[in-house]
Amino acid sequence: MGSLNTSLAIAVGALTADQGALNATANNVANASTPGYSRQVPVFAENTPLVVGSLTFGNGVSLQQLQSIRDPILQIRIAQETQDQGQLGSFVSSMQQVQVLFNNTSGSDIGSQLSNFFGSLNQLSADPTDLSLRQGVLTAAGNVANSFNNTANNLAQQRSNLDLDVTQDVRQVNTLTGQIAQLNGQISNLQNIGADASVFVDQRDQLIGQLSSLIDVSQIQSDNGGLTLTTSNGAALVAGEQSFTLTTQPDASGLQHIFAQGKDITSTITSGQIAGVLQVRDQKIPAVLSSLDTLASGLSTALNTANEAGFDLNGNAGTALFSAPPASGTGAASSMSVVLTDPSLVAASSDGSAGSNGNLATLSAVNDQPIVSGQTPTQFYSNIVFSVGSDVANGTANQNASQLVLQQLQDQRGSISGVSLDEEASHLILYQQAYDAAAHVVTAINQMMEEAVNLGSD
Amino acid sequence: MRVNPNSMPDLLTALSATQQQQDTELLQLSTGRRVNQPSDDPAAEAQLIENNADSAQVDSFQQSLSSINGQFQTADSTLSSIETQMQRAITLGTQAANQGTLSDSDRLAIANELQGIQNQLVSLANTSYQGVFLFSGTVQTQPFVVDASVPSGVRYAGNTGVNKVTVGAGYQIQVNQPGSQLFSASGSDIFQSMTDLIQSIQTNSNIGNSVAEVNKAFTYLSTQRVFFGNAMNQVTSQQNFLSSETVELSTQENTIAGADISVVASNLVQTENAQQAALQAIGRMPVTSLFDFLQE
Repeated sequence: MGSLNTSLAIAVGALTADQGALNATANNVANASTPGYSRQVPVFAENTPLVVGSLTFGNGVSLQQLQSIRDPILQIRIAQETQDQGQLGSFVSSMQQVQVLFNNTSGSDIGSQLSNFFGSLNQLSADPTDLSLRQGVLTAAGNVANSFNNTANNLAQQRSNLDLDVTQDVRQVNTLTGQIAQLNGQISNLQNIGADASVFVDQRDQLIGQLSSLIDVSQIQSDNGGLTLTTSNGAALVAGEQSFTLTTQPDASGLQHIFAQGKDITSTITSGQIAGVLQVRDQKIPAVLSSLDTLASGLSTALNTANEAGFDLNGNAGTALFSAPPASGTGAASSMSVVLTDPSLVAASSDGSAGSNGNLATLSAVNDQPIVSGQTPTQFYSNIVFSVGSDVANGTANQNASQLVLQQLQDQRGSISGVSLDEEASHLILYQQAYDAAAHVVTAINQMMEEAVNLGSD
Repeated sequence: MRVNPNSMPDLLTALSATQQQQDTELLQLSTGRRVNQPSDDPAAEAQLIENNADSAQVDSFQQSLSSINGQFQTADSTLSSIETQMQRAITLGTQAANQGTLSDSDRLAIANELQGIQNQLVSLANTSYQGVFLFSGTVQTQPFVVDASVPSGVRYAGNTGVNKVTVGAGYQIQVNQPGSQLFSASGSDIFQSMTDLIQSIQTNSNIGNSVAEVNKAFTYLSTQRVFFGNAMNQVTSQQNFLSSETVELSTQENTIAGADISVVASNLVQTENAQQAALQAIGRMPVTSLFDFLQE
């Protein structure tokens, strides 16, 4: 049977539920600009009805929970795209630094210096006994050697800078996995007692986003809100409340390798900023360096042979122009140097007579001969520049594409989880009116009770 | 459908894209080049490197040509002077041969003048250009030395070496003729012929034969001189060819890497419009929400 007390209880229950809902609205509005915040919606439910005889009385409303609106699958897609974005970002910015060394507008690049050197040989051939022209050849040869040295040394320097990046990135990964493990603990504690952990879940999603920009991450969700993170190759990063730190150790050449529980995982990291850094450090720069070594070594050998085939200004047999490249070729670019210091030792003469220029043609011919891997020095050099340029161009194109995808995913996330102020205002109106109405009901019941109490008195 | 309530990141991305585009276009306008770094167009950059190497080579060929041209001109005018001297010698010899009534002292005077011519010929044959003997072959010693111990009275101290200078891709020009070939070729040795003539006049015998000998050496030298005339023609035509090649190469460079200025400029205007639009869009982002309409 319905009673005034029951009605009062229902009205008060409605007041409480509406207050709770207003709370969610207030929180949404407050966090409208918080990165990673997922909006909350109040979930109302009818209370269990009261059945009296043939009558079923509604028993009011209660606020069951404040539900955070999020799409976990979308979150994982965003994390994945963030990994690609991180990898491409660090790859492109590192390769752009490499590319600067091959920019021909500077005039100090290897290509320009090679042209200058062969030009100086041509000039000398018109007046082969002129000492200043001979000095010009030696100076130009020195510039060629310097441009090789500078380019190779710069690449080596960039490589060791990238090596520092690896160490710093790994340190950051460890900080993040530690924080994620801690949040895992808080989330499962709350969920175990049936409480809402969405605040921590939002924070954890943010941290996973940051982690994803650094390294490839696979997520495995467990029932109690716990989360296991591994690299895509299976090295554990976080398992529930425990995080596993990655360590770095230098290899024989002094480059840092990344270890997970004692196992070297360096070569298995496929995305995230670290992967991009490693790709440039371990593949791209070594490949460019090795090409430069091949070119330097081929040039030195061919030009030395050519100079040795002739005779200097004093009629003596020519000697090596450049230092002999290392037998393996490795380091030829960084160690290239001109050994002749006396301009009269340029072996211009083909027959020992001072005024002969016959051997200069032999030296010049090196420019047109397939002395490096079947290519002329200029062709070989332009191929190096082509490959560096393509790496940057392709990387940038992929980066832009990935940026668009990520943007779209973020939009999608925003359309699901983002706070809309209009929506919140409409909720506010709704809950305020509901509260207002419930309050009026309380007032009415209050009057009715007063009337009931005073029933019969005058 | 619910839309993303926060469209600011999208707008900012659009803005930064137009800014980047604007930077690129401004750089293209200021350099006039479409390719300003290898990644702008890797294939074009690779072509550009070879094109630059070719241009540098053409420049050095041009320098070589102007340098050897001076050498050719000096050599040619030297040979011309030698021819003049020899013509004078032939005239003197012919006088001596035809006028049987010349006195001994007249003949001696002619012989003396011829001796003077001989000395001048030696001096001309030792001409140098910018410190380099023109007719010594490839050695750097004075090529012709007066030496009484040899029959002609003048000994060749040079060698028979010739230099060639590359003035085009695979194109070499010979830049010298050894003095031995020009002046002391067997049977056409100008010094020998002069010595013989002087002796004939001194002894008043066989003067006619000796004049014929000088004449033969003169004719031979004239045919040799053609070498320098031809060489100067080659230089001129190669200079013209290289000039057109320079134009060709820079046209190619422009095709490979040049920016189409009018297109870039009009693109820049579009980009600026797009940027203005993006800025206006951001400026017009609704600052009001439903909250502003909630009345007390």
